Amino acid sequence: MLPNRSKTSVLVFLLPPLLLYCAAVLFPILQSLFLSFFSWNGISDMEFIGFENYVRMLTADDIFWRSFANALIYLAICLVLQLGGALVVASLLTSLRRGRELIKTLYLLPAVISTVAIAFLFVRIYSIDPVGLLNQLLHWVGLGTFERAWLSDVNTVLAAVSAPEGWRFTGLYMLIIYAALIAVPKELEEAAVLDGASQWTLFTKIRFPYIRPVWITTTIMATTYGLRGFDIPYLMTSGGPGQSSELLTTYMYKTAFTSTDFGYASTVSVFIVIECLAAVGLILFMLKRKADS
Amino acid sequence: MIVQTAPATPPPTLSPVPTINRRRRKPSLHRTLSRVLISLIVIVQVYPLAWLFLTSLRTEQDFATGDPFALPGSLTWENYARAFETGDLGRNILNSFIVTMGANVVIVLFGMMAAYAIQVLGFRLSKFVRGLFLIGIIVPVQIALVPLFIDYSAVNLLDTYQSMIIPLAGFALPMSVYLFSSFFEYIPRETYEAASLDGAGPYRIFGLITLPLSLNTVVTVVLVNSIFIWNDFIFANTFVLSEELKTIPLGLQNYIGAMGKVDWTATFAAVCVTITPLLLVFLVLNKAMIQGLESGATKG
Repeated sequence: MLPNRSKTSVLVFLLPPLLLYCAAVLFPILQSLFLSFFSWNGISDMEFIGFENYVRMLTADDIFWRSFANALIYLAICLVLQLGGALVVASLLTSLRRGRELIKTLYLLPAVISTVAIAFLFVRIYSIDPVGLLNQLLHWVGLGTFERAWLSDVNTVLAAVSAPEGWRFTGLYMLIIYAALIAVPKELEEAAVLDGASQWTLFTKIRFPYIRPVWITTTIMATTYGLRGFDIPYLMTSGGPGQSSELLTTYMYKTAFTSTDFGYASTVSVFIVIECLAAVGLILFMLKRKADS
Repeated sequence: MIVQTAPATPPPTLSPVPTINRRRRKPSLHRTLSRVLISLIVIVQVYPLAWLFLTSLRTEQDFATGDPFALPGSLTWENYARAFETGDLGRNILNSFIVTMGANVVIVLFGMMAAYAIQVLGFRLSKFVRGLFLIGIIVPVQIALVPLFIDYSAVNLLDTYQSMIIPLAGFALPMSVYLFSSFFEYIPRETYEAASLDGAGPYRIFGLITLPLSLNTVVTVVLVNSIFIWNDFIFANTFVLSEELKTIPLGLQNYIGAMGKVDWTATFAAVCVTITPLLLVFLVLNKAMIQGLESGATKG
């Protein structure tokens, strides 16, 4: 604490940021909670309906459950690509002598590009007429029977919209995990190698336990980002065909701004917030138990 | 341009002398394998971007009939001309600049002020305020869309630069507060005490000591946030309707014609134009940016 600070000076520094933060983040959360108890289309009078929106969401809305399931699959695909991919590349990178900086830069490139550009790019990659990269590649390696319009096929569309999100951020998580991996003390690794540890044991018994805290951070980051995924599915398919690539976020958005059902959309957003908080809690809980055992 | 990373496969090693046990050979095999694997992964990661650029240089006809993997038959800049005609690219880029700059000024200044109050000045509820800021990191931005839309329309803020800047800055503020406060921890107490003895109050200390010392953190915060703000789609798409205020992500949508018919080569040219500024900054400053992303994640 500064020797001669005053109450006013604290307020002068704290109030502007806090006000902005309240206006943009905290107040809207409370407002969503409030709106979720009303039926309102933005024009007519707001009508208080208690828990009716919640009852409807949980018991009578198939699209909601469909979107929820889709969001979980979307999350799973993103996590495998981002964390799995990141871990593999980061550990491969540590065994490289030169060119690390270059690879880090190249690998991070997609994260700098806007989701709209990525959505366009992948629409083209998946397309069948004119033939896109993916179908051409399948044709070349003799898997021509798998060629299809990836984004109009209800069986493949969800995976097809999840992959770009995974692709885009692998580099970011790789960077973080790599930074942690090179901080693992060399003496530990050398001692293990002298004892005859294979690369695999080296990884599972020494490196991975050592980077556990960073692994937790990245898992939480990737999970919360995966659960709020919106741009790419919305831009590529807008949740279609049917509801086969609808996520909770795109469903909420359409409920609010296409059907102008603000009350119900707020109910869905409250659910999204709870889902994110629950996911973070669950990750911390599981990782803590594993560490204790 | 990018595929040069593939390492030349090392010349076949001499057949191992029998006395050398297998352990000595293993690492080099391991290394070769990981080099090949890593090159493959990098190619998968980067090829789509190279392809995007190459496509933007192909003629429409070449694109419609040709094999997508083939190199362009002839290069043309015509797509770029058409891209500028179709959309209002210049306008979009200017708008993105205004929003990115505006939000960054707010994020840096307010983030620094809040961190100064919490970390340096200190007050009774500082732990609580710090916790409040943590909420903003976990909560998804989508939750703010409906309430802010309603509030903005009540106070006539829809369709303004502020309508984008306020939520972008608000949601970026927590991370900025954390980065600044963890940096402020390293400024020695004695510096402040000495300044206080010389009669400097909290305002002068902020302006003459804290602010100049944190320039590195400012760069980090600006770089990391600029990526997200420059590319923001959701706030711009929700709060902005008029053409004059559209930022780059929205402007790109103009290239989809009626019935979803897309002029692909012009679209890709437009995409190339719009990703260039950020890409250049990234390539020039990638060390600082990479460091920023790393520290942002490990401290958040």
